[in-house]
Amino acid sequence: MNEQHDKQLLDLLRDYPAPDAPAGFYDQAIARAAEQSIKRQRKRWLLTGFGSAVAASLAIWVMSGVLFTTPSLPQAEATIPGITMALEEPRTVNLVFASANALDGATLTVLLPDGIELAGFPGQKEISWETSLAAGKNRLPLKLIALTPAGGEILARLQHNDRDREFRLRIDVS
Amino acid sequence: MSGIDENAVFERVMRPHLERLHRLAWRLTGSKAEAEDLLQELLIKAYDKIDQLLRIEEPGSWLSRVMYNLFVDNHRRFKRQRMRMVDEGQLPGGIADLPGTENPEKDQQRLQQMESLDAALSQLSDEHRLVVLLHDTEGYKLTEIQELTGLPVGTVKSRLHRARARLKDLLIADGTFS
Repeated sequence: MNEQHDKQLLDLLRDYPAPDAPAGFYDQAIARAAEQSIKRQRKRWLLTGFGSAVAASLAIWVMSGVLFTTPSLPQAEATIPGITMALEEPRTVNLVFASANALDGATLTVLLPDGIELAGFPGQKEISWETSLAAGKNRLPLKLIALTPAGGEILARLQHNDRDREFRLRIDVS
Repeated sequence: MSGIDENAVFERVMRPHLERLHRLAWRLTGSKAEAEDLLQELLIKAYDKIDQLLRIEEPGSWLSRVMYNLFVDNHRRFKRQRMRMVDEGQLPGGIADLPGTENPEKDQQRLQQMESLDAALSQLSDEHRLVVLLHDTEGYKLTEIQELTGLPVGTVKSRLHRARARLKDLLIADGTFS
């Protein structure tokens, strides 16, 4: 009798149902995860720049330059640093801005060449952030993916009021 | 990585595990809304760790463990929900929608048995209910439960044994098992 009960119980438990996820839930959940990740990435970047001072003018906006950190890779040209990426393998490039003062309301725009994408922004050639810069170094990680072997130049433009500065990074794809 | 963008790669990695993870979330929370929230929370966490996920040999186990930890870490939710088996006044697993057979009488009997099982499960402790559901319903091995919960296998076995014994007693007492 005990064995029969064991078997009955196991049969029942095996069939004990769980509901299916609602139709489309998995697709939506994946999309939401991607959106959340991008939002957090942006927020992290924004939070780095909240300073109390309002920039008076670009006269005090001293950019010591944009350093695309490219460890162990030599710069192909003196003025345009470059990196080499593997095809379809994401690589994070850090944009480092050094500012003498905190700046609110700056806009950072990244322009991508054909065949290079920013992770989370499929198909977009131009991505803009409104951002603030803290006094000192501000780092923005960009996760790049090369979809074709063509490579090209990435342009990062930082704008504040009516002034802007542009910085370039050459991408070679191996 | 062979995908053309992070979203596509993420989806490719996650898709095969979603159904099982949803079931685990359901077994942990016993609530439709909480299960969906938990799975969503896991996906958000996993998205940020896609590089790590790609290097893992068995992402399904890793994901299950992360989900379990998320659930346990959220102590308030754990205490509030107490893995209750009834969600907003309705039987949890779509028991009324169990697949039918050619024999309506047998179907009705099965439905009643499931309702009795549901009631009996609700009388188990959270820990015992989880172990028996994972092992006997979801087919997790003892070692998988050990890995998931961090409990020694001996403890898992003991809980499983006690949970089954208690369920049998309850089902005998209510006349389901004669």
